[in-house]
Amino acid sequence: MFDMKNLKYIFIASSLLLFTNCNDPEDVDLNPMEVEEPKPALVAGSANFSDYVALGASFTAGYSDGALFKASQENSFPKLLSNQFALAGGGSFTQPLMADNTGAFLGIPTSAVGYRLVFNGTGPQRLNEFFTALGAPVPQPTTNPTQNLGSTFNNVGVPGAKSFHFTLPGYAAFNPYYARFATSASSTMLGDAAVLQSPSFFTLSEFGGNDVLSFATSGGLGVDRTGDPNAAGYSPLDITDPGLFGQVLEGVVGQLTANGAKGAIANLPDITSLPYFTTIPNDALNLDAATAASLTGFFQAVTGIFTQVLIQQQVPPANAQALAAQYAITFQAGPNRFLIDVPVSQTNPLGFRQMTEDELLLLPIDRAALAQGYGSVLLTPQVLQVLGILQAGGTPTPEQAGLVLAAVNGIDDKDALDSSELLSIKTATAAYNAKISEVANAAGLALVDLNSVLDAAANGGFTSGNYNFTTNLVTGGIVSLDGIHLNSRGYAVMANEFLKAIDAKYGSNFEASGSLLNVGDYPTNYSPTLQ
Amino acid sequence: MKTILYLVTFCMFGIFGYSQTTVKGSVVDQDNQPIPGANVVITGKSVGTVTDFDGNFILETSEVPPFSLKITSIGYSESVKNITANNQNIAVVLNETQTLLDEIVISASRTPERIFESPVTVERFGIEAIKNTTAADFYGGLENLKGVDVNTNSLTFKSVNTRGFASFANTRFMQLVDGMDNSTPALNFPIGNLVGMVETDVLSVELLPGASSALYGANAFNGILFMRSKSPFDYEGISVSIKRGITSQESAGDNSYTDFGIRAAHKFSDKFAGKVNFGYLKGTDWAATSEVDKIDPSRTRADYDYDGINVYGDEVSTNIRAASGLGIIPDVEVSRTGYNERVLTNYNAESIKADWGLYYRPIEDNSLELSYVGKVGTGNTIYQGTNRYNIKGFFQEQHKLEIKNDNFFLRGYVVADKAGNSYDMVFTGININRAWKSDEDWFGDYIATYAGIELAGNPSGLTDQQKHDQARAAADTGRFLPGSQEFQNAFDIVIKDPNLATGSQFKDASIYYHSDANYNFSHLIDFAEIQVGGSYRRYSLNSGGTIYTDFDGPIDYSEYGVYTQVQKKIDLANEKSIKLTGSVRYDKSEFFDGFYSPRISAGYTLSRDHNIRASVQTGFRNPTTQDLFIGLDAGRAVLVGSAPDNLDRYSRTYDVSQAGRDGGQPDTVDQTGRAAYENSYTFSSVTALGETGNPAVLEIANPSVVKPEQVTSAEIGYRGKVSKLVIDFSAYYNKYKDFISQEVVIAPYYGEVNNPNGLAIQAIANGDFQAYSAYTNSSADINSYGASIGLDMKVLGNFDLGGSYTFTKLDFDRDANPDVMLNFNTPEHKFKANFGNEELFKNFGFNLSYRFSDDYFWEATFGEGVVPEFHVLDAQISYAVPSIKSLFKLGGTNITGQEYFTAFGTGFIGSMYYLSWTINN
Repeated sequence: MFDMKNLKYIFIASSLLLFTNCNDPEDVDLNPMEVEEPKPALVAGSANFSDYVALGASFTAGYSDGALFKASQENSFPKLLSNQFALAGGGSFTQPLMADNTGAFLGIPTSAVGYRLVFNGTGPQRLNEFFTALGAPVPQPTTNPTQNLGSTFNNVGVPGAKSFHFTLPGYAAFNPYYARFATSASSTMLGDAAVLQSPSFFTLSEFGGNDVLSFATSGGLGVDRTGDPNAAGYSPLDITDPGLFGQVLEGVVGQLTANGAKGAIANLPDITSLPYFTTIPNDALNLDAATAASLTGFFQAVTGIFTQVLIQQQVPPANAQALAAQYAITFQAGPNRFLIDVPVSQTNPLGFRQMTEDELLLLPIDRAALAQGYGSVLLTPQVLQVLGILQAGGTPTPEQAGLVLAAVNGIDDKDALDSSELLSIKTATAAYNAKISEVANAAGLALVDLNSVLDAAANGGFTSGNYNFTTNLVTGGIVSLDGIHLNSRGYAVMANEFLKAIDAKYGSNFEASGSLLNVGDYPTNYSPTLQ
Repeated sequence: MKTILYLVTFCMFGIFGYSQTTVKGSVVDQDNQPIPGANVVITGKSVGTVTDFDGNFILETSEVPPFSLKITSIGYSESVKNITANNQNIAVVLNETQTLLDEIVISASRTPERIFESPVTVERFGIEAIKNTTAADFYGGLENLKGVDVNTNSLTFKSVNTRGFASFANTRFMQLVDGMDNSTPALNFPIGNLVGMVETDVLSVELLPGASSALYGANAFNGILFMRSKSPFDYEGISVSIKRGITSQESAGDNSYTDFGIRAAHKFSDKFAGKVNFGYLKGTDWAATSEVDKIDPSRTRADYDYDGINVYGDEVSTNIRAASGLGIIPDVEVSRTGYNERVLTNYNAESIKADWGLYYRPIEDNSLELSYVGKVGTGNTIYQGTNRYNIKGFFQEQHKLEIKNDNFFLRGYVVADKAGNSYDMVFTGININRAWKSDEDWFGDYIATYAGIELAGNPSGLTDQQKHDQARAAADTGRFLPGSQEFQNAFDIVIKDPNLATGSQFKDASIYYHSDANYNFSHLIDFAEIQVGGSYRRYSLNSGGTIYTDFDGPIDYSEYGVYTQVQKKIDLANEKSIKLTGSVRYDKSEFFDGFYSPRISAGYTLSRDHNIRASVQTGFRNPTTQDLFIGLDAGRAVLVGSAPDNLDRYSRTYDVSQAGRDGGQPDTVDQTGRAAYENSYTFSSVTALGETGNPAVLEIANPSVVKPEQVTSAEIGYRGKVSKLVIDFSAYYNKYKDFISQEVVIAPYYGEVNNPNGLAIQAIANGDFQAYSAYTNSSADINSYGASIGLDMKVLGNFDLGGSYTFTKLDFDRDANPDVMLNFNTPEHKFKANFGNEELFKNFGFNLSYRFSDDYFWEATFGEGVVPEFHVLDAQISYAVPSIKSLFKLGGTNITGQEYFTAFGTGFIGSMYYLSWTINN
């Protein structure tokens, strides 16, 4: 049948064939390890980054930790952006750097412009106070606000500037930050940015931020000027009329784009979600059962006394009871919301009430005082004595009754934002943002939704790179120690949002090419020793 | 005392008194070389003897001449001699048959038949093969069989498998020693030959690839290994094997290796015989020292989420952002610092085993035999399952009573284990860490250090990596260092504590009782050979609540099966014949509906040298004891078996998060294993939720409780001889149904997954959930197929040259079923070859074995990764010294020194060099 010899060779040959056939290593499915595809090269799309100018307020300037200082400016989001732009045809980017890292000015009292905040192990503290507490010498500020740098700068970011200040000639006289680099005594920020530099690309950011911020940080001491476009009549703490805001915005964008420049504009975050307003809980009145009971008893006493007062003032008893009933505030063991002072009115004749759930306390509130009865009642021995009389069924004298009413110690307007103030802020912010969106679309600009970034951070967390940020003070990772401005990691996040919006609008590919910033490379805090 | 004396007298009398006829003789081959171990049997009787090392025999029998003797030996054609007178001296010459086709196998049909005519594929490994194997022992020699995969767990624990689907927990493969299942009660699978057989007692090893459920019941699903020992009636005397050598591995160095075996058997009379075996093995295991990252091989030990393959303790990881709630902390997983496996074990590989048997044939010249066999074994080895275990002082005993004759058997046996000082090395690492510092404190220190650096403004300008390094250094300050007294103290406490939250002891004392019976009607019925049989098994699980949910006492349950087989051989003209075999088995477990598994096969013999076979069979596999009754918190998931009453037996109390409590939930929630099966989401969808934040991606898992797995297997084969070339070819196609697999699911502490109110989703969002590994059946379409061909021939005169090629392929849509873990773990291509000569010149032989395995992907609960292709060359030279009945063998395995591994996570397999001396075997 077969010849022996042939068979032998067939066998050996087939063995060899098998070896070579099986030797391919690629026939195993290496599935968990996907091979990464190489990223495309960076392109600028239709944008031209050669002359980039940033116009804005504190965020643009790089304001952080309650101050503007050299290191924070070097991590300003426009500076970080310019570094990435440089990879796609961008040019140099100059900034009006402060002379040092103190944050304060030579010759301006620290009560007006303070030192930067540092973390002292438990919380934020001004650098000068930090060193003083350590017994160390306090570095003296060397930045002279009266010394003009005599040049234009790519970064025209001026902390504190409201919308209408951008076009206000002679604004330098009111703002030492601008005074340092205003091109003339009568120059405008817009003129310095748009006219003198004629940028090929611009960013406009926090335009309108200070128009609500000063109102908010003052606890709503200012006036909501909605419907009143006359800025000359405004106090610094007022909310700017959205109509006026819109007018100025259109003018600013018109000027910036007059020469065909492309650009990106960021909307405004809801500032009331920032830690300046959310760090102090409004229900931190922690009571044990006995104290809660005696406070409840106290307010029953207040109600009773006030009912009698009203009846004595000829108010019909039924009406008197109804009106006084609002003061029968009850307390439980555990956390309770504080009391807040409100304007005395027909419906709230005593001018205080318990805070509602959404009302906010401000960061600078005296926390030691809160622990001592600020926001509730100063239960002095004398007051307790009156309560004892009432409990025993006795009738206090008018003086004693007055003592009880005076013991109520509601939180002052400057330390809180009440519902109507919050409504003003939110309404104005929404109106500004609607306008920003409208103008951006009309002008064909990239719109950066900074609002949703901070909204996400305030509601569960905003993820960027290896981080998931919150708006918690100190530990949230994105907001600096002042509770309002971003830290440098936050500004890196912001820069990335700009890059993504620019990608979407102008066809560049910062994200796809791997040219976003690694946010972890930027610090959350600046060291106190940074000179 | 009197009784004993009487017994002794009786025995003496038995030896000398009943012998009336003595026949002496010698058996040689065609070259006049003696054939040791040849069977000499009185035709038609079970009375006989075996030739000694020089081929001589003396048969003493009560049989009165004339009668005839049948002389047989494997590899030789049989011879019949007529005995006409007492003290006759005969010389027998057996001719080498040249082919392996005439070897007799019994496993395929439970009845002796030529391997040539076996209805299914059978591999046989007999005494000659054991003598010639290049492996250090017979069990290792199985590696050179066609189609066989041997996964090396340890020096003393090799896992045999065929046709794919194998992890070290090879519950789809069965191992029988003299009809007795030697799987370990605690684990449901045999620990290699750790408590198996002593080499000098091995008569033959048969291996049936593919399902054999029709005859052998559940678990004989992927294949069955069938080991038979030598009967003391046929093989008398003392035989000894001594092996000394070294194991050589890069990580462990050169270590001595000793393997000693002794067999003593004595036939007291034609009626009564006994034997004793003892084996002792000591060596050093292959050290597993891989520091490659288990999840992402590109990561190194410096990575903050490093999880080294053989580094333990670093499995404990946490997302430091989530743990701290701090946005300044990176949103990354960080793992604790682990210990290398080599500091958690001394790699002592040891096996001590003994067995004994008493055999009684009450009726002279009748095959009826009563026997008792006892076996004990203890040893140290490494087992790799979900984790890697140091099996230390493990003890297993088996006792069997059997009555049988040529037509039937009835046997009952018990198998019991004790886990001894065994422990889980992964949890040892984890819990030495915890004994020093709780996870909470360690991560707390890590986070505090990291946060401190960030809040201080990172004055030194550290990189991310440096910040992590500093955080780790701070958290690790005061860590128990290997070699220190505090490390040793913690180690000693942890390995003796069975609570996996604090310890790592592997505790078990489970038992199963088994009985089976078979009756062959062939002596009563002529038209066909009919067999019937049945089996019964009762489990008693007893891990004291550490593995199974048997905290309140042993869990008992039982299963039984009955089967019948009809075999008909139809002779046709011209030597042609057809052999038809049909069998069917019915099995019933306490928890499942009864199952029928039929097998039908046909063999067509074309001539004496060509046979074609085809078969279709079904197999089934009952869920294992672990599938049913496990209740074990393995760290990342809780394993809960799905026996109906196990679901509520596993219960734990979990703390509810602050967010959950704020939402009105109680501080703690009691959850039972039922949640995994009735209120859970798929793991992949919860992962997707984490990535997308979109609750709509959640998928309800609610896996069904486990039920038996089935396979339908079709096979064709050809065996034949063309000139001097022996060919054995087979191909098969397996289709699996209800494949038993584990599925990871996520059960929320509160809310119902199918209730749209979103409370369950809220629980997931709050982190209020537990991961479970549920035991269920996959609805995926799983098929596998393969083929193998073996070729053997004599070349260049008297040299044996053989080779085999095996192709194995899984047919499965992995992309569509990402959650199903199949453990296929088998190379697509395998090639094996051997070349040798038993008698190169007088008394001197040699053998070379070569194995090639293609690369393949290993997937198992411990970890997964690529097993690269490997080439292994083993060799031996042997020298026989007939004057002292000895065979000396000098051998080496993996002599090229290229280390390889057969499974992800194990130690690399180095080389072994040994010198063995076998006397009278």
